[in-house]
Amino acid sequence: MATKQMTKNEAAYIKKVNSKKLSGSFEFMTSRLGWQVSGVFALYLAVTAFMAESVSTAKLIIAAVFAVQFLLQFFITSKITKELIGPAGAISDGTRKLGFLLVPFILCGNFLLFIAGMMLVKKEKNIEYQLSVYSLLISLYIILISALNLFKPKQASTFVLGMALYGLYSIFNLVVIFAVGKYAMGKKPDKKFMPFAVICLLGLALGNVFSFLLGLIAIGKYRHKNDEISVEWIDVIRRLFKNYTAVIGMIVVIFLLSVSIGSNLTFDYRIATSNNFSQMLAQPSLAYPFGCDDYGRCVFTRIIFGARISLIIGVISTAVPIIVGGLLGALAGYYGGRTENIIMRILDVLSAVPSILLAIAIIAAFGASTITLIMALSVGGIPGYARTVRAQVLGLSNQEFVEAAKACGAKDGTIIFRHIIPNSLAPVIVRATMGIGSAVLSTSSLSYLGIGVEAHIPEWGNILKAGSTYLESNPYIAIFPGLAIIIIVLAFNFFGDGLRDALDPKLK
Amino acid sequence: MNISSFKDTFKRMYRNSKYRIWLWVLGLPTMLITFFVYKGKKGKDGYAEIRNQVRREMEGTSLLSELTRTALEQIKRKNEYFQKSASERDMKKQAEQIAKKNFDWILEDKVKQIAQSKSIEEVTMASVYSSLISNGALLALSIITSFPMYIIMILFTNPISKYVVDRLVMMVFVLFGVTFLVFTILYISPMDPALNILGVTATPEQVERFNKMHGLDQPYLVQLFSKFQNLLTFNLGKSFQGNENIAVALANKFPITLQVTFWSMLVSLVIAIPSGIISAIKPYTSFDYIAMFIALLGLSIPNFWLGLMMILEFSIKNKWLPATFQVGNPVTLIMPAIVLGTGMSASVARMTRSSMMEVKNSDYILTARAKGLPERKVVLKHILGNAMIPIITTIGMQFGGMLGGSSVTEKVFNINGIGLYIVEKQFVPDIPAVLAGVIYVSFVVSIVNLIVDIMYAVIDPRIKSKMKNY
Repeated sequence: MATKQMTKNEAAYIKKVNSKKLSGSFEFMTSRLGWQVSGVFALYLAVTAFMAESVSTAKLIIAAVFAVQFLLQFFITSKITKELIGPAGAISDGTRKLGFLLVPFILCGNFLLFIAGMMLVKKEKNIEYQLSVYSLLISLYIILISALNLFKPKQASTFVLGMALYGLYSIFNLVVIFAVGKYAMGKKPDKKFMPFAVICLLGLALGNVFSFLLGLIAIGKYRHKNDEISVEWIDVIRRLFKNYTAVIGMIVVIFLLSVSIGSNLTFDYRIATSNNFSQMLAQPSLAYPFGCDDYGRCVFTRIIFGARISLIIGVISTAVPIIVGGLLGALAGYYGGRTENIIMRILDVLSAVPSILLAIAIIAAFGASTITLIMALSVGGIPGYARTVRAQVLGLSNQEFVEAAKACGAKDGTIIFRHIIPNSLAPVIVRATMGIGSAVLSTSSLSYLGIGVEAHIPEWGNILKAGSTYLESNPYIAIFPGLAIIIIVLAFNFFGDGLRDALDPKLK
Repeated sequence: MNISSFKDTFKRMYRNSKYRIWLWVLGLPTMLITFFVYKGKKGKDGYAEIRNQVRREMEGTSLLSELTRTALEQIKRKNEYFQKSASERDMKKQAEQIAKKNFDWILEDKVKQIAQSKSIEEVTMASVYSSLISNGALLALSIITSFPMYIIMILFTNPISKYVVDRLVMMVFVLFGVTFLVFTILYISPMDPALNILGVTATPEQVERFNKMHGLDQPYLVQLFSKFQNLLTFNLGKSFQGNENIAVALANKFPITLQVTFWSMLVSLVIAIPSGIISAIKPYTSFDYIAMFIALLGLSIPNFWLGLMMILEFSIKNKWLPATFQVGNPVTLIMPAIVLGTGMSASVARMTRSSMMEVKNSDYILTARAKGLPERKVVLKHILGNAMIPIITTIGMQFGGMLGGSSVTEKVFNINGIGLYIVEKQFVPDIPAVLAGVIYVSFVVSIVNLIVDIMYAVIDPRIKSKMKNY
């Protein structure tokens, strides 16, 4: 009896150790999610293909492709698991070579397999390597998405230019991956890596934040004098990139950002806005992947251009309340007394009205337009940020470093802006990340009610509103923009969750 | 209710500057009499005598000049350190002020000590009041002439009822603030309701008549004042369009919104609390990951999209449930309740998990386990009980928000609730209707918040004891 109990406990212990070993390996995490998602997707496609009245062969073929990916990835994952748990405790070179099989599946749009493959093939990975892989992924994805335009009868005039630009940029990204392996694996990047780093910084112009971060980190490390001390902001980024769900969130967000910049070159804005009555309510096809709406506008192109407006509104209507609310909160928390009382009472009034209702009242007064919408969403966000900042400042203003600054005769303004605000930023940043997601949700809700963005502008809520009328005959017009909203909000939530963990001082 | 609790409450209320004003406003006759008696007695009692004596004694010594000298020295040193220059006279003046203040402090301290040793009390408003109402006739007179003060004092003897009164007073101010805010926003609007309602073809006379009828030709302050008046008399006014009574319209919509809110709340709690508990007790398991992923998904799905998809699946494709809401038909309530409920359950489940995870590792949970309580009791009573406050806050916020009408879902299912009413009226813009709707909603939200805060006190004894201090 006793020995049985012993072995039971022992087995539980071994299981725990093994699962810890596995979850510590980024290769395992990426592979596992790869087979899980591919499997679910393949199953879903197969089921819907058979459920439909006539079995669609196209769907079946795609399902089969994903099934192959699932099997391959599952095989590799089990191999990794065996080797990690086994006596060697590390992944063998033979298994690592299998990673090359996974990489080409990016052509099917399966970025999870691509990442899993890229992470598997390289043994020593640092943050620079990860960033360069993600940066390549984003560039390739833009090319893939833009390539769908080839099926359209006509492309934008700048299409070839855009494709060439992104093609060159992808090749550059590929070169950077090798350059990172050669020059930037140590504590400090080699001097020869600096030209790459500078070009990487320029990636920001294309919306590729990964590439920008890579350049920033390389330059930051290069200029950093003391090898023994790690740079704090690089540490935060490193912690953030250890969290795979946060990485996926960031990939989606940055992809949408890049698409909203890249679409200006490779997509035709006229297809999204001008009427084409020959294609009215056309069913999804290769030329129009998500079909056409009641004015014959391509829903796919409209969704692509909708990313831009959603991101712009989301970012501005989060930035404004952060600035206003943060300032009010800092003043209230720092001065206390009467100042605090007055500010908090005003905020009480603002927060007594639910933000969506306040937005409706403001829109009622000034008419429905993008500017009014941004203003309306911003006003509703002020009390939340002010409260967050105030709570932070209340905690901080009793700390020694603030007292020290006061004793040195620093002015109130200096103390607030130099010492208190930077130290109270972490929770605000986390809140803001999630705030962008909910601003996107509010925007589309208001657009759906007909009081958001002007109806002719391709915005996801507007597309959905049009689609809701044709729910019975053409449900895809409503389904796809909804999926786009879910994906962007989910991505921001993942990103925010990851940021909260990365910025948590307890984990340092 | 005995006299001594009146005395005690009076003393405590008089100490707080805010409640002092309340006492004066609500019990003016009593306060006036008390004040005159107090004025008459002040300076003639034993306490004042002691003070005069001590002051004379202290002025005899060189204490004041000593204090001035040390203060001057300190100021000089401070200026030297910060390398500031100030004239000798300014410094002296400053030093004298500081010395005077310190002198008074020392004086008061000494007086208090001596008075205490001789058990003499200083004459204050509170002491005068308590000596006056010890007389039965005076007490009766006081209660008759200023009964509002006594009502408030009775309420203030109980910490929870005091808290409620405090919050209700605050709420009135917030409602005035909301009225001011929303009315001002609508007033500076460039839109012209007259033209929108009468049509573009309306003659100037018609527009003028319309404006006159609804008081729109009056200056801003007059209009705002009449809105405040309406708020005080609970008169929500009449809408521009159709000239209907807004209070009646809102009262008709309220039961519908309440019904929808209640059922969605039920759906939400049934989903959220158990999944939150299981996730917190067995974290980092497959159930936890899947449940929390679904919760995050629930936060990210737009309500209207989920509603449309459900209509597509269950009404159009399968014809199981009707797509639109009908009053009195409970089957039509299923889909709205599920859509709103799942949206809400997401944040409640996440909150349940995170706050239970925080409590889970406390020492008192270890104690509870160590004394051999069954696991079920540890989880439900000790962990969940102590993690309840943030969960209740989240639920309360959601509940209040939903009572204010979820306009988007109401539009999808064509529910004739408050949210949809306000949205429809804002297209006009029907200023009185929108204003009344917003005030109604903020009233409801404030009341729900108040109930939530009172529930804190019921749940957590620490908060209750905090309320007692004022």
